[in-house]
Amino acid sequence: MKATFFKIFAFLLVTVSTYSYVGQLVPQFEEHPPAKKVITVSTPPAELAVIGEELVRVKGGCLICHKVTETGNERGPDLRKAAGQAATRKPGMDAEAYLLESITTPDAFIVDGYSKMMPSALKPPANMNLAEVKAVIAYLQTLGGAEVSVKIEAGDIQVAKAAGPVHRGKELMGQFGCIGCHKVEGEGGVVGPDLTPIGQNRSPEELMRKILDPSAWTTPGFPPGVMPADLGKSIPEGDRHEILAYLMGLSGKAYSPTGAASPWSHEGMRLGLVILVFNLAMLAALAWARAREKKETT
Amino acid sequence: MEAHLTDTITLASTPQALKGTYKGVVKISLMLAATYLVAQGLSHYLPAADYRQFFGFSNRIAVWIVAELHLMFAAFVLGVPIFAVITEFVGKATGEKRYDDLAKEFTKLLAMAYTLTAVLGCVLLVLFVALYPKFMGYMTKLFKPTWLLYIVLIFGEVVIAYFYWYSWDLLQGARKKWHLLLGVLVNLWGTALLFVADIWVTFMMSPAGIDDAGNLTSLWAAINNHTWMPINIHRLLANVAFGGAIAAAYAAVRFLNAKTDEERARFDWMGYVGSFIAIAAFIPLPFAGYWLGREIYQFSEQMGVSMMGGSFAWLWILQAMLIGGLFLASNFYLWLGMGRIPGAERYVKFQIPMMILLTIGFIVWATPRSIIASGAEMSAMGGSHHPFLGLFGVMAAKNTAVNLMILTTFFSFMLYRRGNRVPAVPWAATGKIVQALAIAAAAGVVLGYGIYSYSVPSNIRIGFSVYQVGAVLAAMAVFVAIDIPLLRGAQEIGAIRWGQIPARAQYALFFLAISFTWLMGLMGYIRSGIRQYWHIYGRVMDESANAYTMMHGHATIIVSCITVIFFLLVSVVFWMASRNEDGEGEAK
Repeated sequence: MKATFFKIFAFLLVTVSTYSYVGQLVPQFEEHPPAKKVITVSTPPAELAVIGEELVRVKGGCLICHKVTETGNERGPDLRKAAGQAATRKPGMDAEAYLLESITTPDAFIVDGYSKMMPSALKPPANMNLAEVKAVIAYLQTLGGAEVSVKIEAGDIQVAKAAGPVHRGKELMGQFGCIGCHKVEGEGGVVGPDLTPIGQNRSPEELMRKILDPSAWTTPGFPPGVMPADLGKSIPEGDRHEILAYLMGLSGKAYSPTGAASPWSHEGMRLGLVILVFNLAMLAALAWARAREKKETT
Repeated sequence: MEAHLTDTITLASTPQALKGTYKGVVKISLMLAATYLVAQGLSHYLPAADYRQFFGFSNRIAVWIVAELHLMFAAFVLGVPIFAVITEFVGKATGEKRYDDLAKEFTKLLAMAYTLTAVLGCVLLVLFVALYPKFMGYMTKLFKPTWLLYIVLIFGEVVIAYFYWYSWDLLQGARKKWHLLLGVLVNLWGTALLFVADIWVTFMMSPAGIDDAGNLTSLWAAINNHTWMPINIHRLLANVAFGGAIAAAYAAVRFLNAKTDEERARFDWMGYVGSFIAIAAFIPLPFAGYWLGREIYQFSEQMGVSMMGGSFAWLWILQAMLIGGLFLASNFYLWLGMGRIPGAERYVKFQIPMMILLTIGFIVWATPRSIIASGAEMSAMGGSHHPFLGLFGVMAAKNTAVNLMILTTFFSFMLYRRGNRVPAVPWAATGKIVQALAIAAAAGVVLGYGIYSYSVPSNIRIGFSVYQVGAVLAAMAVFVAIDIPLLRGAQEIGAIRWGQIPARAQYALFFLAISFTWLMGLMGYIRSGIRQYWHIYGRVMDESANAYTMMHGHATIIVSCITVIFFLLVSVVFWMASRNEDGEGEAK
């Protein structure tokens, strides 16, 4: 029995090692997430083109279909010729406008011999802003041997927002009525103190205590007892942490919005209920079967 | 008197069956309660963070290993009941007890495997909550109703599956229909469980039902996202194939350790049935795979191209090697098995041509699009694509190759099936001609579309694969539809000599099980890896230090480690199953 086990185990090791060995023979490379590059209205054209190249290679994923060297993919047009051919693609449209349109709304014009398959660079997964799209155009112009003519305007630069539904504190403060009494970033009421700088003097733990128990302390200059005692408790725990993350962030302090739910949260109670129901049902079935067995025996 | 005795024994067993089932419920109750408390405790006492490390070990690799092991055991416990109940139905229909014994043998493997699946699932949940709190917080918020449904389904599955096992002897004879009903319920419940778990994983790949800020707009849209149903079907089939392969490996272990001819015959037959189930479920898998691929392209062309032609393209070469190996091993097993079938020597002449066809298919399928070459070689070729071999590196050639390999394997099995039989019906010659024409027509369609697809873009080409697989499936259906009446009342040359098969055939079964497992690990990595640096593709970014796509070499080493750990754990299940049987034997 042991000898069979060792033989089979050796066979297993040889087989998986062979597969892993073949895995070492294929080209090896790591792909990293795009680095965050800062583009401003004063970014020099040469630097803009360098940023654009990085965007084409990584964040945009453009080289999955296009090529920028002799060897490369040909699902889309050759990017080395893109800037040069741009002026003649659509009548009445200049090169820069055409490139902008082809990157942001690719289906607007399809080059002969290619199919509709490119997603807009403004949409996920590329999620570029206009400044980044213009950096790509700058790179394409350099690639085609032309001067960089594209200009970054203030409106093109958007502050990169964290992707996904995290750090939604501001929105939640509006949803739960905090803004009705408190001012944040210049908006809101004046019944309570301005919460914009609150993170400078208070820790997240103190703020959480205040949300849950408004009588914990009162900011000098404001009347006590105005904030409803149960207001904070009505905000779900995860959302309270999101609000804290936002307020701390306004003071330049990082705070993870990941909060722990209480063991007696709704989820815990529901799980306990399911466990109870199934156990009781099984016990009842068992008692019924035993009673029936006893009756049959007698 | 006898009927009364049977009744008494049956009634006496009812509380025992319920007691065994209740033990399972207590076990899962304790596990879930402990998991919840540990997860909550860790969230409560660990400092707030978006990501955490696993005792200095990479959080991604920790989650990867546990998730894949959980998935493999889950595939096994969901796959085995499907063919166990089918075997039980066959036993009931034919009245042959050996089928009922075989179904029981399959089911015996489940009890211990359920426990391991649940333990791994609990560990996985704790790891997710502790290591990826921000991501888990978001997923919990979106899918809260489905978590509860999942828990209810887990309990339901435990109750029905354990009762299915413990009531096997209780529900025999006139009560067999109730046992069969339980078997059907186990599968319906298990399938529902799979479908719910797939919601989360497919949402991460192809999110829907949320607005730009990530807020839920439609729970149903989030559930019924682009890849949900294709993955449901793909996993359902793969679970059966995987379960069959593992059950066949169990039979192979028992065959090699058998002390009597009777035991050898029993486990030889079990190994054959297990491998048959594995291959039968494996054949339509590419169809489900292509459907999934098409849906990925529909959702995001960029994701599709990245999967097939981007950084993950090389892993398909590995996949080709694995599946090619699976085809060769399964044919090798069938050909060795023909040695124990009197009359099968008539078909030995087909083995060499089939071997050649399979080998050519294997070579074509494993040909890479871009050849690894030096600068001088590249300039001589005029690029990284070889002027001639490059033609075989694209999906047009690969789809054609794999479909012809499927057709060959099917033909091989059909020859095996009629090994010791000579058709006696008057229309036998016509029937055989129609069967040959069906195979030839499918081969023609496969080749025709294969050549035509060179001239169309990739998004249209991937649709052709559906027609190719459709032609192959249709030919197989026609062949079987003719074969059943053709062999009815056939003259038997001799009985199959079960147990008289070389030991190397059992290693072919191990090879099938190991390769299926490794393949599952690899495909799981590709499916998950194509999200690249996104937790939820295009919506929630992975902002941890592990948000990079690792080198293929590293990934394959991890897949191998997972496979070895899985088989070590499975050997515990096998050992427990055979120990129980030895105990039962001694008690008798």
